[in-house]
Amino acid sequence: MEQFFNTYFDFSIMGEYFGDVLAGFWWTIKLSMFGGVLALTWGLILSVLRQLPGKWLAPVRILAIAYIDALRGIPMLLTLLLIAGGLGTLASQDAIPREIGIPNWFGYPDPFWYGVIALTLTYGAYMAEVYRAGIEAVPRGQMEAARSLGMSHGQAMRFVIVPQAVRKVIPPLLNDFIALMKDTSLVSVLGFVEVVQVGQDVYSETFNPSALTLGAIMFLVFTIPLARMVDWLIKKQDSKFRRGIP
Amino acid sequence: MSETILKVTDLQKSYGQLDVLAGIDFELAKGEVVCVIGPSGSGKSTLLRCMNMLELPDGGRIELHGNEVFGEGKPKNLDVLRREVGMVFQQFNLFPHMSAKGNVKIAQEKVRNRKKKACDERSIELLTEVGLEEKIDEYPDRMSGGQQQRVAIARALAMDPEVMLFDEVTSALDPELVKGVLDVMRNLADKGMTMVCVTHEMGFAREVGDRVIFMDGGVIVEEGKPDDVLGNPQQERTQRFLGLVLEH
Repeated sequence: MEQFFNTYFDFSIMGEYFGDVLAGFWWTIKLSMFGGVLALTWGLILSVLRQLPGKWLAPVRILAIAYIDALRGIPMLLTLLLIAGGLGTLASQDAIPREIGIPNWFGYPDPFWYGVIALTLTYGAYMAEVYRAGIEAVPRGQMEAARSLGMSHGQAMRFVIVPQAVRKVIPPLLNDFIALMKDTSLVSVLGFVEVVQVGQDVYSETFNPSALTLGAIMFLVFTIPLARMVDWLIKKQDSKFRRGIP
Repeated sequence: MSETILKVTDLQKSYGQLDVLAGIDFELAKGEVVCVIGPSGSGKSTLLRCMNMLELPDGGRIELHGNEVFGEGKPKNLDVLRREVGMVFQQFNLFPHMSAKGNVKIAQEKVRNRKKKACDERSIELLTEVGLEEKIDEYPDRMSGGQQQRVAIARALAMDPEVMLFDEVTSALDPELVKGVLDVMRNLADKGMTMVCVTHEMGFAREVGDRVIFMDGGVIVEEGKPDDVLGNPQQERTQRFLGLVLEH
């Protein structure tokens, strides 16, 4: 028991490397924030594209569906490696501008941005499906009422359908965000020193995984309150419909 | 009667094998109030929804002020049609994320491009007109069905439509709330609004309607003055329907 405890919870190691682990986790947070915001936006765009009306826009719908199917079906690790490998190579051959192939925006290194792109592409696809469920859950009469007032399909989506859909899907979107946050750790394979990579480095130095434990705890400090918030939001929505039934 | 606003010629619509509208001819004059009655499945709601292109007809013609808005199987000038024709639904279909005022305001702002202040004033004026000056900032889920339906009427009126379509607007209401909605409609009719009402309120049809149309099986079986159609129907199908509706 004591051996177990000393292996995973060596407080002296945790204390010594706390600053490094925290610095790594700060990158994790930044990856999550950039990736999260962009994935939320990209997902919404995809879901709206996939719901465009009329036969002339069928190619757009098909492309959107194909994209969503593909990106949901490929492991994010693979997407990440394809992006990092591909963009870097293309830029070194001058096939694409260096600022895009090896991005250094806001002074953040290129693995960070490869991670953000992979998170956006992958989780955009997941979130598009969540938004779609929300859009489809808005009663048909809402679209009819909006159109009967002379709104175009786009106006009806923007002012009537999407605002209602988003409200309905905030809990599942938050769930996806939690998953996204955990998947930021994949960027460590590019040698990017986010929290997992820091833990791994400390492990190689000390042969003790306590820094990894510390990283796990930092994740939990964020993800558990988020999960509780999801539960609370769902309960709040439910109570609106279940009012009066004991 | 005066000029024709809406003219429907040989309108057809079918769902698979079922002919919901089997050739409807129908004209609507300015200021006229037409009540459409008939058993469920007779096509009366579909007719109304086709007039606003919420359902696409399969054939026939619809003209608004002499301009073709549907013909040769295609809608034309859809935006003009929808702007000129207001619609009120059985299930209200208010936007739940907007207050009463927001509901009445949104299309004025986004479709008619009116200034914010003008929209506000018009919304308050209309909500007052339908007797909801107390509920201007209330959200739909905190209003009764009757109040919601009156907001829906105000919302359609805010576009200053030439024609108002009412699709069984009191059918989803508790009995004691029906009168408030019918009073609003009666008021509108008195002010000269052109209206088509699909309804089961025979009293309303008789009192407010200029003309009553009885539909069954996708065709107009009988039409005429309310007293004639409701009081002295000539067709056997009309008699049977009225017998079932009036004697209970």
